[in-house]
Amino acid sequence: MGSLRPMGSERWWVLAFLLPTLAGLLLASFGSILATLALSFTDWDLLTSPVSAGLSNYADLPSDRLFMKALWNTLAFAALYVPMTVVLSMLIAMGLNRPIAGIGWFRVMFFLPAVCSPTATGLLWQWIYAPDSGVLNAGLSLVGADSVNWLGPRMALYSVVIVNVWGAIGSGMIIFLAGLQAIPKEFYEVTRLDGATAWQRLRFVTLPALAPSIFFQSVLTTINAFQAFDYIFVLTRSGNGNSTMPTLVFSIYRNGFRFFRMGDAAAQAIVLTAMILLLTLIYFRIEKKWGEQ
Amino acid sequence: MKLLYGTVLSLLLSAPASWADTEITYQFWGSPQEVEAWNAVARSFEAEHPGIKVNVEASDWDSYWEKLKVKMAGGTPPDVFAMDAPLYKDWQSRGVLLNLQPYIDKEKGILDGVYPITLKAYETPEGYFGLPRDFQTIVLHYNKDMFDAAGVAYPTDSWTWDDLRATAAKLTLDKNGDGKTDQWGFWAEAYDMEPLWGALVWAFGGDVVDPPAGKTLISSPEATAAFQFLSDMWLTDKSLPTQLQLQQYGTDGFYAGIAAMGVSGHWTVPDYSPLAFKWDIAPMPKGPAGRATSVNSAGFVIAKGSKHPDEAWAFAKYAFGEKGQTELAKIGLAIPVRQAIAEGPAYLQQTTKIDHSLFVKALDYAKPKPVFKGYEEWSSAVGDALTMIWSGEMEVADGLAEAVANGDDVLARNK
Repeated sequence: MGSLRPMGSERWWVLAFLLPTLAGLLLASFGSILATLALSFTDWDLLTSPVSAGLSNYADLPSDRLFMKALWNTLAFAALYVPMTVVLSMLIAMGLNRPIAGIGWFRVMFFLPAVCSPTATGLLWQWIYAPDSGVLNAGLSLVGADSVNWLGPRMALYSVVIVNVWGAIGSGMIIFLAGLQAIPKEFYEVTRLDGATAWQRLRFVTLPALAPSIFFQSVLTTINAFQAFDYIFVLTRSGNGNSTMPTLVFSIYRNGFRFFRMGDAAAQAIVLTAMILLLTLIYFRIEKKWGEQ
Repeated sequence: MKLLYGTVLSLLLSAPASWADTEITYQFWGSPQEVEAWNAVARSFEAEHPGIKVNVEASDWDSYWEKLKVKMAGGTPPDVFAMDAPLYKDWQSRGVLLNLQPYIDKEKGILDGVYPITLKAYETPEGYFGLPRDFQTIVLHYNKDMFDAAGVAYPTDSWTWDDLRATAAKLTLDKNGDGKTDQWGFWAEAYDMEPLWGALVWAFGGDVVDPPAGKTLISSPEATAAFQFLSDMWLTDKSLPTQLQLQQYGTDGFYAGIAAMGVSGHWTVPDYSPLAFKWDIAPMPKGPAGRATSVNSAGFVIAKGSKHPDEAWAFAKYAFGEKGQTELAKIGLAIPVRQAIAEGPAYLQQTTKIDHSLFVKALDYAKPKPVFKGYEEWSSAVGDALTMIWSGEMEVADGLAEAVANGDDVLARNK
């Protein structure tokens, strides 16, 4: 049997075929990250040449009231969205990982939001949350309760988190289903023979076996949380490209493309990236510790 | 046969236009109807200027500014493009616009007969870097069907804001009796100052902003009274739909047929004219300090980086001239900047039968929308804070304090 390793001129062909992807990755992703980093040390209005600004864009961030508000909104959103998405998609995966009638149909139902356009489903949610004619408030008035201003300033964060979690459960569920089905049946049979309770099976078999999935899903969900935009935009947009619940993504877009402050926008983007990076590192640490146990 | 020869001949004669040696681009924000109108202007310009071809490109307001900046940054600016007067300094001060003064100096009398208030926005110590294209004043719109149904008298030119408030409360109704309001007395966009709150602040004797001093002035006692008045209409009388209530019907409460009155410039006339209900216009009501409205213009500017500045100027001059202005008046979106045309048949006898002269007469008591570097960011900083007053999240005084603090930050950054 011949080796699968490329030989001689084959190597060049392999490289040639990989080049478009590599070049795209290098230029588009890595290049733009580097460019953003460089721009964050300048003042640039897009119209004239960038002027070196040292660290001032970063130093000014804490006194930028609108940035701090967006930062706070982003953190509050992530703190709710990440655990809810991970836990709920895991629970649903466990619920759907058993031979019951119509299981395929249930799985499709939970996965459906993942393949729908967020703009379209966002508009549907807008009707669910609408103050007078909305489904939720119609339900509340049926039981005689006062209607709630779901997308108003007090409730917007929670309403928006719910929609984002709903939209993310499908793809999370797939990851956990794959993880669950990789656990050998024998593990459960052995623990049953030993007389383990359902809770003990979950605690000592399922969760440890799912650790890689939980880790992967947490990283992914955290990244998504910090970049969440479409549902938030559709549900909470207000004047001039802003939102009643502006997150960092709104702040970056508005400063860069509307307010002639590309340097400040770049600094904010770097802060966002750094936060994602930091959290990912923490996850890696936790996973390592967990693995050692 | 004669007809055929005629057709062939005219095809041959018109052919050079398509082989033009110079192509320029005119870019603006606007609707498909506007593109059509501008294409007509471009074609008649080309007929008079063989050898120049004009590409007309339009986008919606939001993507227009983004596209423009990206094109500028990429070194491929459009030759001629539309400018909103308040944003003019954001562009002019950054040196990307061509100084038109040398061209204007060569054209004797080109500025004669143009409303001075529209020219003022584009003046700089070095001359004009732009010329007004058309302008807007704000007037009161009212839904006659709703007034008739409620047996309420139409707005008159002696109305005060208190009259409007009382009438709006009368016209706020729950028509189907389900316990929820489905008709509101008044609606206005209250984010930017232009449609409503600038005029209201002035009518109450306050002022909006003093850019050279770096001061946002909307927390003065007079201005506070104006915002308190609007907040009372909105939150106490509930005669304006909240943002969330409005979303159930669309983005424009008057157009959606859920508000008996609204305030708007001439730009909504083409949209409003095919509406199923009868409507008319009246001057803005008077406040404690008299009557006020805002006037704002859109203009032409030429990119400094244009490769064909002379041809670009020729097109801007044509559209700014009597012929171009006459054709534009027919679109019915705005008021021509030349007095002769704004007071002539092209503007006054448009298909929509309202008294178009009301918009022009509003100039007597109109104040210009401010023009300064950082306007868009300032407007957003202030608008975001005001939104919290209208949603009831903040008291008027607190909301205004936040608007002033955020607004002044922007003014300081753009000094």
